[in-house]
Amino acid sequence: MILAGVLLLVALVLPGLPLGQWRAFMLDAAQFAFLISGLALAWDLLARTGQLSLAHGAFFGLGAYAAALSAPALGTIPALLLGGATASLSSLLLGLATLRLQGMYFAIATLAFSEVMRTLVLKSQFTGGSIGLPVQPAFAGAYPLGGYYLAVALLIICTLVSLLLSRSRLHYAMAATRQGEAVARVLGVSVVRVKLVTFTISAFLAGLAGGVYAMKTLFLSPYDAFGLGRAVEALVIPIFGGLYTTTGPLLGGLIIVSLETWLRLRIGEGYLVVYGVILVLTILFLPKGLMSLFARQKGARHA
Amino acid sequence: MLKVTGLTKRFGGVVAASKVNLEVHEGEILAVIGPNGAGKSTLLNLLSGLVRPDAGRIEFLGQDITHAAPEFRTWKGLGRAFQIVQPFPEMTVRENLMVGALYGKPGTSMPTAQKVVQQVIELTGLAAKADTEAGELTLLEDKRLELARALCTQPRLLLLDEVMAGLRPAEAMEAVELVKQIRASGVTVLFIEHLMPVVRALADRVVVMDYGEVIAAGGYVEVAANARVREAYLGRSA
Repeated sequence: MILAGVLLLVALVLPGLPLGQWRAFMLDAAQFAFLISGLALAWDLLARTGQLSLAHGAFFGLGAYAAALSAPALGTIPALLLGGATASLSSLLLGLATLRLQGMYFAIATLAFSEVMRTLVLKSQFTGGSIGLPVQPAFAGAYPLGGYYLAVALLIICTLVSLLLSRSRLHYAMAATRQGEAVARVLGVSVVRVKLVTFTISAFLAGLAGGVYAMKTLFLSPYDAFGLGRAVEALVIPIFGGLYTTTGPLLGGLIIVSLETWLRLRIGEGYLVVYGVILVLTILFLPKGLMSLFARQKGARHA
Repeated sequence: MLKVTGLTKRFGGVVAASKVNLEVHEGEILAVIGPNGAGKSTLLNLLSGLVRPDAGRIEFLGQDITHAAPEFRTWKGLGRAFQIVQPFPEMTVRENLMVGALYGKPGTSMPTAQKVVQQVIELTGLAAKADTEAGELTLLEDKRLELARALCTQPRLLLLDEVMAGLRPAEAMEAVELVKQIRASGVTVLFIEHLMPVVRALADRVVVMDYGEVIAAGGYVEVAANARVREAYLGRSA
């Protein structure tokens, strides 16, 4: 909790720090880390209901394309919200069809959804197809730090939603759904509705992150925006950081994405191997993620 | 209060419930007994909505709930404790109870739920363990939690599925007192039980099942003397 506050504070003042010649690179890397951490926080929300989604890369991509396509007409903030809404609506439809499925089957359905979405965007005209889509910068380039602060704002929003949900009534329904669906129903929890509500909130945040990402990279391609790599990233980070927590995905995201940026400079695509190694080591030695290192602290389970 | 007519459920070729007729009256404690495989647990699953019947009708408080979702039945006041205790292992006892208290009646606020939980914790003697993770409880504590969680949904009719199985006699008698207290607070109880001393101590009426059928119903003494019941338990004499 305190850690999360400190991290967000650092994010706010980072552009003002004397970073010298590394400033532009640092800000760019940090912005990317914030977006992916936000995506990981969003993914973790659904995980709290016991569902493993491989569609969050697709929600990110849908948000990115929707925001990119609508930004010239709507302006930056409404376009981002539209991106979130698009992702959210698609998650609602996907959820209605698949959230009655358990564990593995749901994961497979979300994987199929991702592939379908990528193919649709690839084959459509208005998305630029395989050629890709140029995107205008946030606020049409009026503020040099606009994109950076949008990423900070997104991370703050995701953190707050994550914290608020873990203190809400819904927290109990989500945890009960994850730990025993039949029992939860007999105790009065509408498990399908709980999953559906969580799914739409989670997808909205993922779509929002995608929109900010589009305005940062300035160019979208289906391979990048809908890559399975991002869906994997969205789940590796919370597992590494600590599932069902707020600080876990936040801290994990910043560490993993920083590491990824650094490794990309050194070994290019080889960073994926390091990813795999981190995942295996975490599951073996820190099954509850980084958060288990703080587990003795009171309340860390909900931090 | 609860009226079951012609309730039937087949699993493949096995008839787990065959035209079961049953009535539970407000305020009573009704025991359902029968040999293993008689269909008692299936009956409870049908009543709480975890299993869908092939035929028949379930009426609760004058409303047809035959095809209602489990959570809807809970909202109406039909509570259920499981035979195999299934606490939410990563939650504390208090958090487990909060789930029932918050969602057992739609729209319950957090402060109200916390009050309900506190009352149930005191009633069921779980105060010392309230902030222990449910995964670390002993069997007796698990059973108490199971019962307490069902109570937190504030049921008008409570279904108990062998909640005393595996308890030592002294512990079982403690649980009997608890169930009596629950009834005294205005809750009707339907329970499944193997331990005959428990049945005798608790039940106002007994329903006996065998091969998915109700073969006898009445007071304990009357049912215990019934020839078909003796046959079902002891086997047919040559």
